[in-house]
Amino acid sequence: MSILNVKVADVEQVTDMVKHFTLVQENGQPLPRFSGGSHVVVSMNINGRIHRNPYSLMGSPENTDSYHISVRRQENSRGGSVFMHDGVEVGSTLQITYPVNLFSLSKLGKKHILVAGGIGITPFMSQIADLNRLGDDYEMHYAFRSAEHGAFVEQLQQMCGDRLHLHIESEGQRINFHNLLSNQPLGTHIYVCGPEPMVNALLLTAKDLGWPKTHVHSEQFLAPPIGDSFRVQLVKSNMEIEVPGDMSMLEAMEEAGLEPDFLCRGGACGRCEVEVLECDGALMHNDHYLSDAEKASGNKIMPCVSRARCQKLLLNI
Amino acid sequence: MQRGYWIRSKPLYDSLVWQTPAVAHLVVAGGEGGIAVLKLFQQMYPKEPIQVLYADLPTAKKNYSDILQQIVLEELDICDSEESLLANLEQRLKDCTMGTHFYVAGSEAFMWQVLQKTRAAGVQDVDVQKELCGTLARPVYCVHCKTITRDVHHNVFPCSNCGRHLFVRDHFSRRLGAYMGVMVDAEEPGNIPQIEEVYP
Repeated sequence: MSILNVKVADVEQVTDMVKHFTLVQENGQPLPRFSGGSHVVVSMNINGRIHRNPYSLMGSPENTDSYHISVRRQENSRGGSVFMHDGVEVGSTLQITYPVNLFSLSKLGKKHILVAGGIGITPFMSQIADLNRLGDDYEMHYAFRSAEHGAFVEQLQQMCGDRLHLHIESEGQRINFHNLLSNQPLGTHIYVCGPEPMVNALLLTAKDLGWPKTHVHSEQFLAPPIGDSFRVQLVKSNMEIEVPGDMSMLEAMEEAGLEPDFLCRGGACGRCEVEVLECDGALMHNDHYLSDAEKASGNKIMPCVSRARCQKLLLNI
Repeated sequence: MQRGYWIRSKPLYDSLVWQTPAVAHLVVAGGEGGIAVLKLFQQMYPKEPIQVLYADLPTAKKNYSDILQQIVLEELDICDSEESLLANLEQRLKDCTMGTHFYVAGSEAFMWQVLQKTRAAGVQDVDVQKELCGTLARPVYCVHCKTITRDVHHNVFPCSNCGRHLFVRDHFSRRLGAYMGVMVDAEEPGNIPQIEEVYP
């Protein structure tokens, strides 16, 4: 996978929990172009172990001088966001992948409704730049817990004007998805990024109101959940590895020297899918990619976020 | 027509089935597509509002206006031509909202005319239920003079505009709503294969 070597040109504390990083290429060259909704995967060397986290690009796609990412500090997780907050400063160097877009705007859309919860605002920042450039009709709905958690509100007000609708939970403002999704004109597309209960509630409401799946777009990057350690036999590679509790299977394979395919590392894209040849216990599917039927059949697993609780697990890799 | 051969661009058609959940249903049929509407109304009714647009077409072997007027107690518009149906549809689409489900039945040429209207309103072709009725006749696009000839029944036919003998391929353009027709005797003028009725 192609890697870009970047340097941190600026760090801004946006809210208590959110930091915004400006990245430029170490060699001074412009960065590759991207489309609104794209993300990059940032590699971090934390105490000798490589962590890779996906972050949405939030700058304008027209700006190739620098990339912009924002990171919310997650205390009870595996340390990637804490490392970004405490260990990365102006001048730090990082490795990132080329941008990939799993959350692109539909070119067929007549109207676009963007719905963000908390840090889920980030992919919309670049999408809004695209929508403004194209002159498309859109509404931006941004929900957050309280005024001090409303990252980028001023910037959004400048970008969106009266297309911006803020929903501040501490002031009793919640998005009524049923009202939002009712009576929208044909050709409307809806995009949601935020906490899982919010995304699920919106998807369910859209389904109940007869919206076709082709018009409903969501993105959720999951952090690989922490679990119990387990052992995996990798049949094609002819090796057996231990997956520690705080490491994903994908990371454990990479530690062992393998280079499995991946794109999002958050259970969304399906690129790292591996065939399960044998499992004497339970697969714990944590991804959004496999259908319920595929999860139940137990023939495939997404090693970026899913785990297993078993004595014996054979993967065809 | 070739047998046992699959090509990505060639559309597949199904039987109309009410789609739920929904906020409304809009059914559009022409000519022999009327029978698909009758089959639809034999299924359990959805509770949401239903509109039916039907066009009597002179090319159809059978027309269903009378029986539809008895069966469809909901909002039913009978149009006397495809053109008036399409104009009517265009108006109705302006009032439709997300959550409306669309159903279309008739000949291939008719359905893709309807789909051009729904697409222009922002509805994706895959989200419209489609049932092919009455005939396998194909609309064919002449790649030489850019004319579409409707209701082609034969493997090779003379283009309605330029007169070239065109071979009907399975490649289908959703944008044009037609199959590709290419000159069959371009390399050896006059060498035209046996003409057969393959799309009755």
